[in-house]
Amino acid sequence: MKKFTFRGGTHLHEHKDTAQKSTERLPEPQTVSIPLSQHIGVHAKPVVGKGDYVKVGQVIGTVETGLGCPVHASVSGVVQEIVTRYNAVGTPIQNIIIENDGNHEMFEGIKPWSKPLDETTAEEVISLVREAGISGLGGATFPTYAKLQSAIGKADRVIVNCAECEPYITANHRLLLERGDTVISGMEVVMRALNIPEGILAVEDNKMDAVAHLQSRLEKRHQLGRKDDIRICVMKTKYPQGDERQLVYALTGKEIPAGKLPADVGCLILNAETTAAISRAFWRGLPLVSRIVTVAGDCVKEPKNVRAPLGASCRDLIAFCGGLTKVPKKMISGGPMMGYAQWDPDAPIAKTTSAVLLFSEEYDRINTLHTACIHCGMCVSHCPMHLMPNYLVQHAKARNYEQAQKLNVMSCVECGTCSYNCPAGVEIVQYIRVAKNAIRNAAKKN
Amino acid sequence: MNEERKPSECPAPAADAAEAKTGMPDLLTVSPSPHARRGVTTSHLMRDVMIALVPATVWGVYLFGVRAALVVLVSILSCVAFELLTEIILKRTVTIADCSAALTGLLLGLNLSASVPFYVPVIGSAFAIIVVKQLFGGIGKNIMNPALAARVFLVLTWTNGMTAFPAAYDRSFDAVSSATPLAALKVGNLPAESLLDLFLGRQGGSIGEISALMLLIGGVYLLARRVITWHIPAAYLGTVAILSFLFPAAGVDRLPYMVASLCSGGLVLGAFFMATDYVTSPVTKVGRLIYGLGCGLITVFIRRFGGYSEGVSFAILIMNALVWYLDMLTKPRVYGTERRKKKAKEGGAKQ
Repeated sequence: MKKFTFRGGTHLHEHKDTAQKSTERLPEPQTVSIPLSQHIGVHAKPVVGKGDYVKVGQVIGTVETGLGCPVHASVSGVVQEIVTRYNAVGTPIQNIIIENDGNHEMFEGIKPWSKPLDETTAEEVISLVREAGISGLGGATFPTYAKLQSAIGKADRVIVNCAECEPYITANHRLLLERGDTVISGMEVVMRALNIPEGILAVEDNKMDAVAHLQSRLEKRHQLGRKDDIRICVMKTKYPQGDERQLVYALTGKEIPAGKLPADVGCLILNAETTAAISRAFWRGLPLVSRIVTVAGDCVKEPKNVRAPLGASCRDLIAFCGGLTKVPKKMISGGPMMGYAQWDPDAPIAKTTSAVLLFSEEYDRINTLHTACIHCGMCVSHCPMHLMPNYLVQHAKARNYEQAQKLNVMSCVECGTCSYNCPAGVEIVQYIRVAKNAIRNAAKKN
Repeated sequence: MNEERKPSECPAPAADAAEAKTGMPDLLTVSPSPHARRGVTTSHLMRDVMIALVPATVWGVYLFGVRAALVVLVSILSCVAFELLTEIILKRTVTIADCSAALTGLLLGLNLSASVPFYVPVIGSAFAIIVVKQLFGGIGKNIMNPALAARVFLVLTWTNGMTAFPAAYDRSFDAVSSATPLAALKVGNLPAESLLDLFLGRQGGSIGEISALMLLIGGVYLLARRVITWHIPAAYLGTVAILSFLFPAAGVDRLPYMVASLCSGGLVLGAFFMATDYVTSPVTKVGRLIYGLGCGLITVFIRRFGGYSEGVSFAILIMNALVWYLDMLTKPRVYGTERRKKKAKEGGAKQ
């Protein structure tokens, strides 16, 4: 079998401890705290007040103009209060706190789409995806409806990103094994509605069981007389294979020009769980109110994949996984390579939280060793964007941002491959971020 | 959570009972991504290079006796001591634990004749560590390979002792002379030793440079551990091999001349262990190939036309000076940017 891959990148220590464990549903939490902004774009405005009774799937926040989509209640219960909390990156965001009555009462407005798929237009699917509050669940935090909109007439290929190249996270892996059909039917919805002739399920070769399962579902589908327009592409396990730029290169041999989108080279890339959410929104009318979260790390007693309602606290998930065995030093939302270190153990699960990882002092020790760059070139040979991170650091340190720009610093995707491999423990990505910010700010001033 | 750090408008933290149950600390550490590392550090790499040099060192000691071991030991210890001293005096972070000074000492020792007086490695170490390394800013900042620069310094200041070597198995240094295989090549003759002797290392020379076999074992170890890439040694040895095969000395067979050129002097040691020094070699693959090629060319030119019979040290030091230019010249094309040819074409069209 041909395996697809890209140039550069690195094989990480995988730690996929939860790959063989079925996803478990989080018991109803006492309260949920739902942030009114969970993706890039405009913050939603609350449309419920303190004391209102809300049901699962009911809209509690809306966006009237601009990039954004509505926010739904993930449990049924009474709105306790609306407060401002800081999210992981320090932005103050309104949160609606709902006291859960535990009845899981569904909102009456939820019903499947009224027309058959073949008669549904692209605009209708896009508005449906927007109303369901679907945004990229892989961590890219882009509202999915906007992505679909930008792909109309441009994309001739849907790529469902099941690479899951970050260590520890197995949420997509479990989803493919347990809900493979939902992912495939989500692809079908997008392909029919946007009139896209080809679909690719892109899976890394550390998930061959998922590949076999998907293959059998596709064969079944073919036997039932459906169009044979979806195929599976197996990719080498290498980080950052799940980055859309590397994904497009591996599968099509094309590069996305700097500053352009996958749609510009004819590709529409969706995360596996996002695709499943589109399927649920179309066939069952369900808005996005829960997601699968991998809870792992060396401090967690029983690492698991948990389906949690949005707004549940990280603390609830940790308790459900048997609690902690060691005192954690860091709590990461997302993967260890690109995730954010959280300061609040009560931080709510948002649409972007693919994992909650808890790492001890012991695990983190290697991160605190910082010595001088020895010019070994590991960052250069592993950079998936083919940059020269060592020279970028030199220029950033000297605040010589012009030189850094000449070396294409803005092309950096901040995947962290350079820092991961650096024997000197230089915070390469952080220096690059400083340079990028300085360049952006200077451009804004002019 | 620490109350003071928490924004006032945020809700109060959860009950203490839950706190105790989950074992959360008072404060979590916030830091930028990535939060994972491979775990291979500078000292691991330096240690690997030292391990790779063990076979060659053992062979040198076997051939030239205990004194060879003492020369190497003095060299290592004085390098570490000078590094410690300078760093204390200059109030820098002490970096002797990263093994880089010890490696410099080992390489310097291996580049010396076993018959040198003990003050020679001490002076060489002082030059390598204080002048070449620390005065340029310490590890990672030096523009030349410290061990090689020290060797050249010693050759220039103490020429006789540095170019006189005991013969193989001469453990009492009865016949210290400069009649090494290289000297024979210099005057256009094949060395007296058989090619097998040259390859196995039954010849006179510096402690660590004599056995191509032992050095190759170490080189393969470095390649297997991915401490170095193949580009520099392959380009370096390849260039020397091709040039000496194409242009043998008058009246000498090509093949034996090529093998003798490869296996005598410090070529293999230089190609695997000195030219590949991270700090003073390029970071790009193409840059490394050009760098190796340059080292090979200069080595052959000095050996053939220069005043010295050995050109490896000078060749590598000269190429060291070009590293930054080679890196900039061979920048990889960044993903998503236009290919150079295409860009030139479009630029031309616009004008």
